[in-house]
Amino acid sequence: MIKALAKVAVSAAALLAACVAVAQQFPERPIQLMVAFPAGGSTDVGARVVASIAEKILGKPMVVINRGGAGGQVGWTEMARQKPDGYYLGYINLPATNTVILDPERKANFGADAFVPIINQVLDPGIVWVRADSPYKTLKDLVDAAKKSPNTIRTATTGILSDDHLAILMLEEAAPGAIFRIVHLAGGADQLKEILGGNVDVAFDNVGSIAPRVRSGELRALAVMDHQRSKFLPDVPTMKEVGYPSVISSSTRGIAAPRGVPPAVLKTLEAALRKAMEDPEHIQKLESAGLAIKIMVGEEYAKYYRETHEQAKKYTEWAKSRAHK
Amino acid sequence: MDTLQHLVSGFAAALSPAYLTYALAGCALGTLIGVLPGLGPAAGTAILIPLTFKLDPTGAIIMLSAIYYGAMYGGTITSVLINVPGEAASVVTCIDGHQMAKQGRGGTALGIAAIGSFVGGIVATVALVVVAPPLAKLALRFGPPEFFALMLFGLCLVSGLAGRSMLAALLMTVLGLLLAMIGIDPVRGAPRFAFDVPDLYDGIGFIPVVMGLFGISEILLAAEAPALAAVRTRLSRLLPSREEWRRSIGAIWRGTGIGFFLGLIPGIGSIVPTFMAYVAEKRLSKTPERFGRGAIEGVAAPESANNAYANAAMIPFLTLGIPSSPTIAVLMGAFIINGITPGPFLFQERPDLVWAVIASFFVGNVILLALNLPLVGLWAKLLEVRFEYLAVGVLLFCLVGAYSLQQSIFDVWVMIAFGVVGYVFRKLELPLAPLVLGLILGSPIEKSLRTSLEMSGGDYSIFLTRPLCVGLLIASSVVLIGSALKLAPKTLREA
Repeated sequence: MIKALAKVAVSAAALLAACVAVAQQFPERPIQLMVAFPAGGSTDVGARVVASIAEKILGKPMVVINRGGAGGQVGWTEMARQKPDGYYLGYINLPATNTVILDPERKANFGADAFVPIINQVLDPGIVWVRADSPYKTLKDLVDAAKKSPNTIRTATTGILSDDHLAILMLEEAAPGAIFRIVHLAGGADQLKEILGGNVDVAFDNVGSIAPRVRSGELRALAVMDHQRSKFLPDVPTMKEVGYPSVISSSTRGIAAPRGVPPAVLKTLEAALRKAMEDPEHIQKLESAGLAIKIMVGEEYAKYYRETHEQAKKYTEWAKSRAHK
Repeated sequence: MDTLQHLVSGFAAALSPAYLTYALAGCALGTLIGVLPGLGPAAGTAILIPLTFKLDPTGAIIMLSAIYYGAMYGGTITSVLINVPGEAASVVTCIDGHQMAKQGRGGTALGIAAIGSFVGGIVATVALVVVAPPLAKLALRFGPPEFFALMLFGLCLVSGLAGRSMLAALLMTVLGLLLAMIGIDPVRGAPRFAFDVPDLYDGIGFIPVVMGLFGISEILLAAEAPALAAVRTRLSRLLPSREEWRRSIGAIWRGTGIGFFLGLIPGIGSIVPTFMAYVAEKRLSKTPERFGRGAIEGVAAPESANNAYANAAMIPFLTLGIPSSPTIAVLMGAFIINGITPGPFLFQERPDLVWAVIASFFVGNVILLALNLPLVGLWAKLLEVRFEYLAVGVLLFCLVGAYSLQQSIFDVWVMIAFGVVGYVFRKLELPLAPLVLGLILGSPIEKSLRTSLEMSGGDYSIFLTRPLCVGLLIASSVVLIGSALKLAPKTLREA
């Protein structure tokens, strides 16, 4: 009996030791960090900065690999298939990841539970902007005009089901009667071209890509879709200040793992990545690129992921039903 | 006056030993990137950005710009020598450039390409100095409806790409347009003809397709008759003959003009100008039957257009901050990392930087010419390598190139499949250029049509109420009706 107990105790201890050893040994080889967008984009820039710091902390190289395509779907499809051993991590871009999963036409072969969020890096709030000589001086002017003559104000997104597209729907919901004529453009550069050329009237985008031009006076921002003002644009009011507290939208970038990574490994990764993101070098480099750092870890990030998914679900369905009309 | 002063001090900076070295290094690296198929200027510039972190902003931007236009030139080399476009904008050069190489005139083709690129680059840069800001503002009036009309005009030019049979050319164009339909639809976001394969969601990659159609098929064809593949290039014939000069001069100027004006319009991409320049030459030529059989104008015009485009595309970027091509978007990233925001205020805030960079464009174009003319002989020697060795090398080169596009084995399969398709088409004497044109124009036509209709709330009159758009639509009809009238019913049947 005692012998048997001792055996159990010994094996339990051995198991525990093995677990600890695994956690301590991790990582034994280079870690891959997948970015579901091409090299040179803002997700990629952030990934390369954090990887270069985290690899010093972890003691093994962290290699950024770009798997661009289909608005991120190619990369996320690959990530969902990876062995959950902690050696393959990837960026998830909320709400883009969510809308790819939620849009039935995309036929994504992974669900929201395919990824375990580890740490969020950047939260870039949505912003409404117009040309400096636009008749819309405030968000109220814009909403009033959209109510007065619905479906005439040409309003640019950065792509179908992008966070900017969902934000337009949120504003329409918050301001009943206001309807925008949605024009899907390919990205921020196209928005700028068409706004300056007078081919669209107003654009929904994110603070990071537009802040320098607002500061220089070339463009006018009407409202930021965050709980507080952006430190890059302290003069621009929030949606809450102008009367639409429910319009909260952003584009976030964070690191996740395929489901099933051992908790000890996740802890190691979370600690190392957090330390890397709190490093002054990381903060300085991202802020100079106009990217607002917002570190969220563990349950906070997981909760944010779930909430974003629920919210995206509602507006994706709306967007789809509107497109069918 | 003020401009001149700025330019002079810009030159003083650009000619300083350090900046001269950066420009030289950039040109050499760029040429290398251009030579490697698959690795295009956009990816090449992105990869090399970290290289410039240690430099000051002006130096970094001088070097990255040099990489950019160096790559635009380098792509020509492989197009001419082995029929593999080193980067997308050199596709058209394959048509006549490789024929010239087969006739032992490869050196001449590369020589005229270098000279044409030089003229195109310098003229566009002069224009950048003289007329940049007002022109860039004007080009902004080119909204989605005008863009649609221009792309339609490009499609109408396809008749100029036909070989013997117009019917065959039309057939290939439609095939190209159909291939362009594959992938996520640009407005609704629904996948089409993708068969649930995420790799197909972005459509079929243009570069693997042309590498297969032109390069792989070339090897397959040559493998049937290896004896014919051996080419002797007479080194004495590196510079064009008097007759070739006569033919090229007009082509270079026209190509430069076309490349420059299209470069002002953001979003055109580098391929369409080369096609337009080629077709314009063929249409204007008194002997259009020489095209496709080694006409020197068929190299001179698109190569000049290509470099004029590359430099002109810097105008909307520097004056308005609008990146008009993927490569320039990467370049813009480099500006921002270095704390500089391109746009209307850049000329006032950092004249030292802007003018040093502009002056370096002049210097860079001279360096490229000086770098490439002496190398032409060396490159042409490559053609004397025995076919068995050359073929293996080219195949390996293509495989690595296709994979390096986005580290995807899928692209390699696409290239191989289109290699076989290209072989069959060429055996059947079906022209490849219309297919390529259809493939390039398919998505921008669809996207701009639907964006225009989104702008108008579904009202087609948007195409008839904008003067520029109407003008382009009329031009398209003239081209279309013109070529239809020239077409005797007999020619249609000859397919």
